[in-house]
Amino acid sequence: MPWQSSRSTGFGILRKGYSVPLREFSYAPDEYETEKASNSYLMSLVVIMVGLPLPIVNVIASAIFYFANKKSARFVRWHCTQALLAQGCTLPVNAAGLYWTLGIIFNRTTVSNNYIAYILTIILFNLVEFIATIYAAVQTRKGKHIIWWFFGPLTEMLVKA
Amino acid sequence: MAKIIVHFIVLAVFFFGIWFLLSNFDYLKHFRVEELTKETEHNLGDLILNELQKRGGELESDTVYSFINGIKKRLCTANGINDTSITLHILVRDEVNAIALPDRYLVVYTGMIGYCKSPEELSGVLAHEIGHIEHGHVMKRLRKEVGLSMLVALAGGEANGEIARETARRLSSTAFDRQLEGEADAFAVHMMAKAEIDPEAFADVIFRLSQEKNDIPKRFEWISTHPNSQDRCAEILRLRKQETYMSRPIADSAAWANYKKILRGSSVFLK
Repeated sequence: MPWQSSRSTGFGILRKGYSVPLREFSYAPDEYETEKASNSYLMSLVVIMVGLPLPIVNVIASAIFYFANKKSARFVRWHCTQALLAQGCTLPVNAAGLYWTLGIIFNRTTVSNNYIAYILTIILFNLVEFIATIYAAVQTRKGKHIIWWFFGPLTEMLVKA
Repeated sequence: MAKIIVHFIVLAVFFFGIWFLLSNFDYLKHFRVEELTKETEHNLGDLILNELQKRGGELESDTVYSFINGIKKRLCTANGINDTSITLHILVRDEVNAIALPDRYLVVYTGMIGYCKSPEELSGVLAHEIGHIEHGHVMKRLRKEVGLSMLVALAGGEANGEIARETARRLSSTAFDRQLEGEADAFAVHMMAKAEIDPEAFADVIFRLSQEKNDIPKRFEWISTHPNSQDRCAEILRLRKQETYMSRPIADSAAWANYKKILRGSSVFLK
């Protein structure tokens, strides 16, 4: 069984799986593990100033952290993978926005309502991801297991026991 | 696995749904981006036209004006373009040149009219310039080469006359990039075919100009600024084959000779 989910965590709504469900991990991670798992999320935030214009930087940062902790405890690997997958998913979305913006700067295309709507959408999604990342970093530091929508089940499938 | 796929689909639907909903709002109109652009373009068009008119005055011949306006109208009407939205100016200069300006101004030098052997050839040149206008190439190019802030300053009268002169010189003496020229050529071929004018005439005038540009480069500015004339001719003829049309003459040779005679009396173009 990958994890136990019977104990209450105090986040009833989240536990129903709408956004950020909290569940117990299969074992109680020690402080060293929770710190590393938390850092995997922070890695994607510390480079955010660089990552905004160059979205690949966030993915590279997460990937470096992922490979550095490939042989760590499962709790650390699990959260490194979830952080990397989340960054990998936002990469094409942000890269498309960057490509579109460069096209406007270099006059290949012009500003349109579609472009503005796309930029607003990716800002919204990045903001949600930013908040979720901070939340995950704080909670994993406390030893709580955060499972994101889509990325959580995908991580579960990828990270072997 | 099924759960992951469902999650992914929900996520994608959510993303595209938000994008779709947000794109229903007219940001450009709300923030007056287009109005600003139109006003800037209008002022720029006037400014650059004034600069060109300082070098060569308007042709004072209603006969020639109405004839060339007639060609413009035929081209535009057949292609669903409001011909009155494009303002024609014929300037008395011996340079073989035609220029598309901001705010849908179409400037033709008397040198170009005099050079064309038939009204069909001239219609090709006009269709090419209308192509630049319809595709918004002029402002696109100015934004790239002059910069948006400088254009706004120019349009607002905050930049000095030297910049206006330089902008006019650029538009009249340098070409659009290869891709934009190709787009304007393709547009011209299609436009001519729709208006029942054989696009071969357009290829003819380009070919002749490309043969002569080495002799008197300054006078044949229109072609010397347009890259790879041989390739362009080949591409025009290739595109022509894709069109189906019935060719109908614009004017007989006697009428065309008469218009050129009028021009000869009022301008300095070479025969």
